[in-house]
Amino acid sequence: MNECILRINHLSKTFGTNRVLRDIDFTVDAGDVISIIGASGSGKSTLLRCINLLETPTSGEILYHGRNVLTRGTNAPAYRAHVGMVFQSFNLFNNMTVLENCMAGQVKVLKRDREQARAHAMEYLEKVGMAPYINARPRQISGGQKQRVAIARAMAMDPEVLLFDEPTSALDPEMVGEVLSVMKALAESGMTMLVVTHEMAFARDVSRRVVYMNNGVICEQGTPDQIFNHPTRLETVDFLSRFRKS
Amino acid sequence: MNKFAQLGADIVKLWTKYGASYLSGIENTLILALVGTVIGCVIGFVCGVLNTIPTSPNDHPLKRFFLGLVRVIIRLYVEIFRGTPMVLQAVFLYYGLPYFSNNSVKFSSVWAAAIVVVSINTGAYMAESVRGGIISVDPGQTEGAKAIGMTHVQTMTSVILPQALRNIMPQIGNNFIINVKDTSVMFIIGFPDFFSAHRAAVGASYLYFPSATVEMIGYLTMTLLASFLLRWMEKKMDGSSSYELVQTDQLTMTAGTYSYPDSHSPFDERNPEAVKSMQREKLRRQIEQDTAVREGQRIDQRRESRGSKHGGEN
Repeated sequence: MNECILRINHLSKTFGTNRVLRDIDFTVDAGDVISIIGASGSGKSTLLRCINLLETPTSGEILYHGRNVLTRGTNAPAYRAHVGMVFQSFNLFNNMTVLENCMAGQVKVLKRDREQARAHAMEYLEKVGMAPYINARPRQISGGQKQRVAIARAMAMDPEVLLFDEPTSALDPEMVGEVLSVMKALAESGMTMLVVTHEMAFARDVSRRVVYMNNGVICEQGTPDQIFNHPTRLETVDFLSRFRKS
Repeated sequence: MNKFAQLGADIVKLWTKYGASYLSGIENTLILALVGTVIGCVIGFVCGVLNTIPTSPNDHPLKRFFLGLVRVIIRLYVEIFRGTPMVLQAVFLYYGLPYFSNNSVKFSSVWAAAIVVVSINTGAYMAESVRGGIISVDPGQTEGAKAIGMTHVQTMTSVILPQALRNIMPQIGNNFIINVKDTSVMFIIGFPDFFSAHRAAVGASYLYFPSATVEMIGYLTMTLLASFLLRWMEKKMDGSSSYELVQTDQLTMTAGTYSYPDSHSPFDERNPEAVKSMQREKLRRQIEQDTAVREGQRIDQRRESRGSKHGGEN
């Protein structure tokens, strides 16, 4: 059994009267590759944003190495530095080049010196195949390239967990592949990943655990084989059959 | 035509006599407008940043109270200084302070007073512009910065403000141009700007209209130059529109250098041009061959016919 990095206990989130997350319990162990699937509006993204404290949960706790990060004294920026996030809309810094994007966090947050940060950033930019574009600005590269830079930027911080919020949903179909193959390589390198996705093939072939969410609750979770081939809940069967049809 | 010649002569007369005072007026106006705009921008940025500090219900109540108080103060400052004429603000500060303090508090120089008035006036306008500039930056930028662990201050200084500054450059330019013109009201406290040079000149020469023409041309030249410079600065801030590929990746180095075995053969389906030229070449060769064959046949025929002739003779 690997070390438990994140444990989420009874997490709930309401926007006004809308209960988006209801009593979520689950854990993320070191080396886990977890796909979160479910219909739009089922709370997948909100769950991810709560884990990164971009949203404040209404109740429950998030234990990071056994310490609750939802208490008042938590240093949220320091916690976020360990929990990387890749967004649907990339969110690269528009005022910086590709290389500066990958260095900013290392220099400002981790206080690495510029040379060290540069070398580290280059290492990951090479891994995602974006090394030739280090002088480009985000507006000058394609969506798939932006997302690969965003992954390199998150990885350059040496996070313990990397959260992906629908990383390929804003991409043209032809660019989805390049991002997924980078993510697959990351998963194979042993990175702990939590991926909200609509790419069922990725969930089935790459992840080690699949979580199906419906109406703000975790409906079913298990290995890809269990979820895709032997689902036990009616909702899961429904959801997957809708996907197979399309 | 006559009138224009007269105007020209009057302007020359004015310029020879008061040229130096016009020029020093222009200098003072530009310095005051520039310094006022720069300090005003600093005030605007401070107010804009203080105004956009996010609060959450989890924050300490004292912090929330303090931020609320700061917002109220900034709001009052903006409304008062944006809502009153600068000429009256100058009078209030320059004459009002000594009046209330029995001369113990007053501006030591008219320069200090003018700079203070122009700066806080510009600051009041800029505070709102900066707030708008900060709000206009995509919230995703803030989230991206937060997600890699940046604090609010780090997010502001390295991600949001540089983009906000770029967004409000046209506003800063606007304010500078307005300041170039509106510093003309500083004559009220005896500031020696370009417009006060006009007052001095017409007071002695009574050439109202020619001097006003000089002023018009002078102000227009200053503002045109300013807007030209600002456009240039904006372009400069946008950076280069192209970028250089850095070929350090061995894998990408090979792109385009791989030679295909089919290259330049009729099987080369990547290159329609090559295919076409190959087809053309093939056709040409065939025609050549055909003609050679036909030529050969003709020679044979000739030889045959000649042979038959010979045969006939034999």
